[in-house]
Amino acid sequence: MLSKIKIALSTLVAGATVAALTAFATPAPAPAPAQMPANAAAPAQAAMPAATPVPAIKASNSTADHSKFKELQKTFKSAPEVTKACLTCHTEAAKQIQKTKHWTFEFINPETKQKLGKKHVINNFCTAVESNQKFCNACHIGYGWENDKFDFTAEQNVDCVVCHESTGTYRKVPGLSGHPTYKDMEFPPHSGKIVKAPDLSKVAQSVGKTSRANCGSCHFYGGGGDAVKHGDIDSSLTNPPRYLDVHMEKKGLNFSCGTCHMTSAHQVPGSRYAPTAADTKDAAPHMRGKADNSNPSTCQSCHGTKPHPAKMAKLNEHTDKIACQTCHIPEYARGQATKMTWDWSTAGKLTPEGKPITKKDSAGRNAYDSKKGDFTWEDHVIPEYVWFNGKVNYTLRETKLDPSKVVKINSFEGSASDGKSLIWPIKVFRGQQPYDSVSNTLLVPHTFGDDDTSFWSNFNWDKSLEAGMKAANAPYSGKYGFVKTEMSWPITHMVAPKADALTCAQCHSHNGRLKNVTGIYMPGRGDNNKWLDMGGWTIALLTLIGVLLHGAGRIYANRKG
Amino acid sequence: MLKLIGGFIAGLAFIGIMAYNFASSLMFWEIPSPFGMEETVARIQQNIQNTGNGWTLAGLRNPAKAVEADGGNALPVMMVEACSTRYSGPILKDDTVRFLSILMPCKISVYKKQDGKTYIAGMNAGLMGKMFGPMVGEVMGHVAEDQAKFVIFDASKPAPPMIKGVPGAAGGAAAGGGGGC
Repeated sequence: MLSKIKIALSTLVAGATVAALTAFATPAPAPAPAQMPANAAAPAQAAMPAATPVPAIKASNSTADHSKFKELQKTFKSAPEVTKACLTCHTEAAKQIQKTKHWTFEFINPETKQKLGKKHVINNFCTAVESNQKFCNACHIGYGWENDKFDFTAEQNVDCVVCHESTGTYRKVPGLSGHPTYKDMEFPPHSGKIVKAPDLSKVAQSVGKTSRANCGSCHFYGGGGDAVKHGDIDSSLTNPPRYLDVHMEKKGLNFSCGTCHMTSAHQVPGSRYAPTAADTKDAAPHMRGKADNSNPSTCQSCHGTKPHPAKMAKLNEHTDKIACQTCHIPEYARGQATKMTWDWSTAGKLTPEGKPITKKDSAGRNAYDSKKGDFTWEDHVIPEYVWFNGKVNYTLRETKLDPSKVVKINSFEGSASDGKSLIWPIKVFRGQQPYDSVSNTLLVPHTFGDDDTSFWSNFNWDKSLEAGMKAANAPYSGKYGFVKTEMSWPITHMVAPKADALTCAQCHSHNGRLKNVTGIYMPGRGDNNKWLDMGGWTIALLTLIGVLLHGAGRIYANRKG
Repeated sequence: MLKLIGGFIAGLAFIGIMAYNFASSLMFWEIPSPFGMEETVARIQQNIQNTGNGWTLAGLRNPAKAVEADGGNALPVMMVEACSTRYSGPILKDDTVRFLSILMPCKISVYKKQDGKTYIAGMNAGLMGKMFGPMVGEVMGHVAEDQAKFVIFDASKPAPPMIKGVPGAAGGAAAGGGGGC
């Protein structure tokens, strides 16, 4: 009895020591009261700034030095003149271009039959090209598309140099219908920044293979500014360090965009309107001329469907359910922040003097602009994850919507059971934008222009929407509201080094990355089948007990002789 | 006697387990932020400047950048460094506790975790101080009180700009020598 008391006392002494130590502990500061973050947003992005002048990736084995071509050794007064010179040798180039989405801004989805492309889609960034062609078509691969009268058959209207020049001086300034500026001009207006007119002769003589800067001059700046739209494509990919993109690192593999988006007859594979969600073909790398109609820009087209070594065979068992990007792009916007929300409903606020307002967030990014409304930005964004089978449905101008719900500008289809889907990482861009509150359809605002109806001139939604819908030849009731919208973007660029891929526990855990992915049982997630989990643990426990009993029995039997 | 020793050892083991489980939460605190990374940092910086008691900003570091420079990825971390000579002075003047300069300047860490949310963490200066005698205990107690004020936010106020440089600091952010520490 006394012994028991002594043991208890000893334990109490030890416990008291702990208690005394903890008594000194000062409580941690109380958590800050839950507060909603102030609305971040951003002043007007200088839409489509010039790409960083980075020397193109020279084709060292090229058989042609264009600076030696007499056709290019002259003074060009306009960019279409350069095109004419290009076509004297490259006789089929314009014809090829004119069959591409880059030219037509049109894509008929073979599965859904929806008419897509920039010409038709309304997004929740700058919304629509219609009625704003002079501005938006700075990113059209042509010259002069300012209204519906544009001649899509004129070969001299094709812009060869935007994709092939390497001086870094050629810039298609918004507002010039796809032309470069032919004299020095201030852009954005009243910014004090001067865009130099390029020397078209030097530009023409510099042509070569398409570089990252060429593609990036438009694709890095989608949505009205650098890093706005995609989240995984921005100017940080012009010369990315290893941590940002293992494929494009200049000191490493140094891929250009075209290394994966292997182009044939100017057709660039890799569509966001009809993506290849699950490439099950365990193929060798694509080669030009090879009879193979599959998409050369998928991960599998180079890495196959069992990319991990045999000792990591378990990972290969994941590739029929998990897109490569899910593990290997753990976060997007790792080079710089991407825009995450855009609220058009707050656009149009002016100072008492009637001047437009701009505000910046804590990081110095545009947070509000009278022309565009409120924005928020974020870097190192954890993606959202969805089942995706490659089929995308769009809410188009004529699609009826339910304004009481969040309207999905595009819906990624897929499920755990359709046999075609993989779990993909996506960026979901959220916003509010105008809709016709009588017909319940999305509206086309007329934003850019010197006329009295453009929103950026008069900040009047009534005039802007009426003009936009009139230009789109679409009916408008005259009554509008703002509806919440979401648009999804598959994350597929900015592949991290393999050491930074997601670890098992980042998904196989409570509140892990895939906590919202339905239709599958995931060990460790603990939310979908507690009986199965319990059964597994029971079996494990019984196994352990069995092993211990068996071992004890062997020891006992051994001692007994 | 054997049982007495055994009981004491069991008690020590109990202490060890308790310490293992709770020491980190006693020595450090972590709270979620209602704001994003930069806005959290900016509001903490503003609070530090408004707290008085000699507090000045001493630096802003991002250790994740070093990982990136080495070719790897790490979620963003920003360490707001602040110092008050009112508190650092007495400690730096006493040879017996000068080694505590290793804890200077005072740091508040702001970081993102795998859930995509922003968190704030700091050292529990009050508890740490009590381990090093009455003078340090008193000083660090004041530091802890001020630290608590650094992370009280008023969302009704607009987001201030983040201060990337070090205002009035000799030595600069990288040197961590600003703000009198």
